[in-house]
Amino acid sequence: MSAIATKYEVVVGLEVHAQVLTQSKMFCGCSTDYLTAPPNANTCPVCLGLPGSLPVINRRAVEATIRTALALNCEIPEFSKFDRKNYFYPDLPKGYQISQYDLPFSRRGHLDFDVRGAPCRCGITRVHLEEDTGKLLHEGAIHEAQSSLVNFNRSGVPLMEIVSEPDLRSADEAREYVMRLRAILQYIGVNNGDMESGQLRCDANVSLRPAGSSELGTKVEVKNMNSFRAIHRAIEYEVVRQTEVLDSGGRLTQETRGWNDARGLTVSQRTKEFAEDYRYFPEPDLPPLDVSRHWVEEIRAGLPELPAARRERFVAAYGLTPYDASLLTSTRPMAEFFEETVRLGGPAKASANWILGDFSRLLNADHKEIQESSIKPTHLQQLLHLVETGGLSGKMAKQTFDAMYHAPDPAPALAEAKGSSQISGDAELAGLVDQVIAENAKSVADFKAGKEQALKFLIGQAMKLSRGRANPQRLDALLREKIV
Amino acid sequence: MKLFHRTIRDLHQMLRDREISSVELTQSVLDQIQAVGDRTKAYLLVTKELALRQAHAADERLRSKRDVRPLTGIPIALKDVLCVKEVASTAGSKILKGFTPPYSATVVERLEAEGAVFLGKTNCDEFAMGSSNENSGYWPVHNPWGLDRVPGGSSGGSAAAVASGEAIAALGSDTGGSIRQPAALTGIVGLKPTYGRVSRYGLIAFASSLDQIGPMTRDVVDSALLLQAIAGHDPRDSTSSPKPVPDYLATLGDGVKGMRLGVPKEYFVAGMEPAVEQSIRDAIRLLEQQGASIEEVSLPHSDVALPAYYIIAPAEASSNLARYDGVRYGYQAEGARNLIEEYMLTRQQGFGAEVKRRIMLGTYALSSGYYDAYYLQAQKVRTLIIDDFKRAFTKVDALLGATSPTVAFPLGAKTQDPVAMYLNDIITIPANLGNVCAISVPCGLADGLPVGLQVIAPGFREDLALRIAFAFEAATEFHKAQSPLMGAAA
Amino acid sequence: MPEPTSELSSREVEHVARLARLGITPDEVLKYRDQLRNILHHIEALNRADTSKVPATAHPLEERNVMREDRREPCLPADAALRNAPSREDSYFKVKAIQE
Ligand SMILES: [Mg+2]
Ligand SMILES: [Zn+2]
Repeated sequence: MSAIATKYEVVVGLEVHAQVLTQSKMFCGCSTDYLTAPPNANTCPVCLGLPGSLPVINRRAVEATIRTALALNCEIPEFSKFDRKNYFYPDLPKGYQISQYDLPFSRRGHLDFDVRGAPCRCGITRVHLEEDTGKLLHEGAIHEAQSSLVNFNRSGVPLMEIVSEPDLRSADEAREYVMRLRAILQYIGVNNGDMESGQLRCDANVSLRPAGSSELGTKVEVKNMNSFRAIHRAIEYEVVRQTEVLDSGGRLTQETRGWNDARGLTVSQRTKEFAEDYRYFPEPDLPPLDVSRHWVEEIRAGLPELPAARRERFVAAYGLTPYDASLLTSTRPMAEFFEETVRLGGPAKASANWILGDFSRLLNADHKEIQESSIKPTHLQQLLHLVETGGLSGKMAKQTFDAMYHAPDPAPALAEAKGSSQISGDAELAGLVDQVIAENAKSVADFKAGKEQALKFLIGQAMKLSRGRANPQRLDALLREKIV
Repeated sequence: MKLFHRTIRDLHQMLRDREISSVELTQSVLDQIQAVGDRTKAYLLVTKELALRQAHAADERLRSKRDVRPLTGIPIALKDVLCVKEVASTAGSKILKGFTPPYSATVVERLEAEGAVFLGKTNCDEFAMGSSNENSGYWPVHNPWGLDRVPGGSSGGSAAAVASGEAIAALGSDTGGSIRQPAALTGIVGLKPTYGRVSRYGLIAFASSLDQIGPMTRDVVDSALLLQAIAGHDPRDSTSSPKPVPDYLATLGDGVKGMRLGVPKEYFVAGMEPAVEQSIRDAIRLLEQQGASIEEVSLPHSDVALPAYYIIAPAEASSNLARYDGVRYGYQAEGARNLIEEYMLTRQQGFGAEVKRRIMLGTYALSSGYYDAYYLQAQKVRTLIIDDFKRAFTKVDALLGATSPTVAFPLGAKTQDPVAMYLNDIITIPANLGNVCAISVPCGLADGLPVGLQVIAPGFREDLALRIAFAFEAATEFHKAQSPLMGAAA
Repeated sequence: MPEPTSELSSREVEHVARLARLGITPDEVLKYRDQLRNILHHIEALNRADTSKVPATAHPLEERNVMREDRREPCLPADAALRNAPSREDSYFKVKAIQE
């Protein structure tokens, strides 16, 4: 790879399609819950493209797009409109997709991220809003299928298209960009980040050019990558393939290739017989939109703290390393878990270590997100407190965490740890009691004089000496016994 | 006088007074359809059972005097471009043969709420593309005034039905004159509302930025009554206007005294038949006698309205008609080996020649390399036409002219020459592009065939167009002339 | 009738028909070419208008920002979506293989 990297420069631009989290579809009131509904059950005249039906814009989808654009540092023009993109495909019921052509909701932004500590910035060309298509099911392999089945439940689900500049220079950068982008979309609550089910999809334009050249080489569009790993592998594969073609004196053809994850290669999708001509024109069924500055500012005010800002704050406020802060802020639920643990009294460094260490390891093994776990910040904080003040050994803590994680309710495991770390034996406590009586003559006298309050103080002193491990009920009994 | 001869207003009075029942009235119209339907071929589908069921329900409503509306119990015909739930709706095209929509158009729902009775779906040019009804995917319609003549188009079936007594009133749609021109050619009143006045939801689209649904009636009062029932904002049509709907009847009789009426000189086009021109000049004089002042005005871009229309409408149509691919509904060709071939065959066999011509024209105008020269230029010309009207309406209250430069022409006369056919709409098209409303009202006969006077008023001033048309109608007997098929009044 | 001046070629007619997914016979290509040339000849009158300073009108109304709230509404009842389908399998629309 290093030889390749010096000879050619890799140029990658990404197009990410993200389904917007809304209740209803882009242009009709049908539910967006298309994954679980029976085939074609979530449809109406509008999303089936029946004759005479007309679209009405979903305000929330527009606001989510502007929200995304603001999070990606984009400009928001004051005037925007929808256009028709005309093409025939059986998953496209109207024979055109309502999309945005020359006046999208936003353009010219950027996304900052880092690759192994090195800062990167990728330009964002535009973020626009369109409607998703239906879904085709093939009987057997796509190319051999005699027929396909069409389900329009997904038809009309709002879809943002986020187009990057060709600023990415490696598969690593591309993967990191998508990870960062996904985190932002989840942070601001516009997309669920699920790549496997296609609610977040990524296409890559990959080309090579001689190192030092500023012209763009012949680009190949790679589709069908539905994980970060797939994005990385597909781009790496393309770089090697394109290098081989160029090195052997061949020419690359501008084409669309599909990533085959099982075989680990890209396959040319049949080259089109003639160039696509989408015949874009303004959607006559939808009046355009004036995007007032007031509206934009209202949307901006509703934005949560974004990952980059939160990362910096974690470093400054909690003394975390930039690396740990970066990992902790990679998803909003994880960052919020961390902050809540600290707010409850958990030490920052230890909280971060636990979340990024044992907790993440267990979650990864289960393919679960932190918010799906039964362990809540209060549980982690209590465990850390036991370690810190209760003398719970590291080994015990790990075992306890494991038990907490696997139980539907972490409380019993936590209580058990608390119990097992407690000193209840009278023989062990006797020394403590003697020491406290010897060192607090005044309080002992007060208690003898009838001040109940003084006993409480003595118990507290004993607890302190035991670093919280003494059984307070037993202490109470032993002190009364000895003093009277 | 038979019941089917009467107007909505008369019949409403009789229904309310329990002088007649809606079932009787509906049966009278159904009998007339039975008697002359083979000659006009105005209907593609007569919904007899539905009509009688609705008539019974209307009678119930009339009997209980509960929520009786002006259209309660009135038999009305619907142009086949309007979707009616579970009733075959084909837009006059073979590609939609047998299609039964699972929903109704907003205007249909509004008429249902009024208690109207639906007689059936009237014939029209395929997807409303045509000026003679000869582009129907099923059969041509014959003009009740002369069965060898066209009724005009594209709402020719609705026009013929109203003019022959096969309906008391009808709804049509007007994209470039498709209500007004057939109204003129069959001697009835046809109103094209301002774009946005009537919801298009459920109207099978031809050209989305131009299409409007409107009433086709025996007289101006009925036009006002029917418009009143269908006009107004609809949240399902983003292009429907939220402007309030005035009470059209309230100002109908206010006359034209003191009004300034403009006569665009460009509307006396080359090729206008002398007898038509004479009728129009007489009509203008009559309005002057009623107290209006008449002045000549200029709409200088009238000559480019037709070319602009024949870019914008086909361009939008080429996109609107892409959905007819034989997958989800409608006709599907047999024998294709793969899906693309099936698309090609389905659309080749399912669409008629005129529709294919316009799809190709529109596709070409939008295609890369031609967009600016054709589509964008046409949209700019549209701005000029809007400005022409705006300027004219600073000087005058409304405009007068012919609706059609000719009377009804013989069937087959223009079918071989698309351009000659397009020229029929030369003085109706500007109103569609110019964002105004217009009404055609009978103004006499030329060689025994009806002539229509067109009154054009500013956007959302249907009240004004109706008032001027009513002043004219009230001073004349032209609207009382009945087609031979309708028969002399008893 | 004036001579058609537009240079629309048979190849372009075929291309446009293909873009529009309209099957067309060789005879029809010639017929439509001549008709479209004639129509385009008349349409070229468009260029008589000076539009150098004129904005385009895509939407005749002045309304802006027409939107609905993000609320679910009932979908079509079961089977209504598929009732008109020429080919179906279970609750799916069925289409032929896409590839030629
Ligand atoms: Mg897209
Ligand atoms: Zn829907």
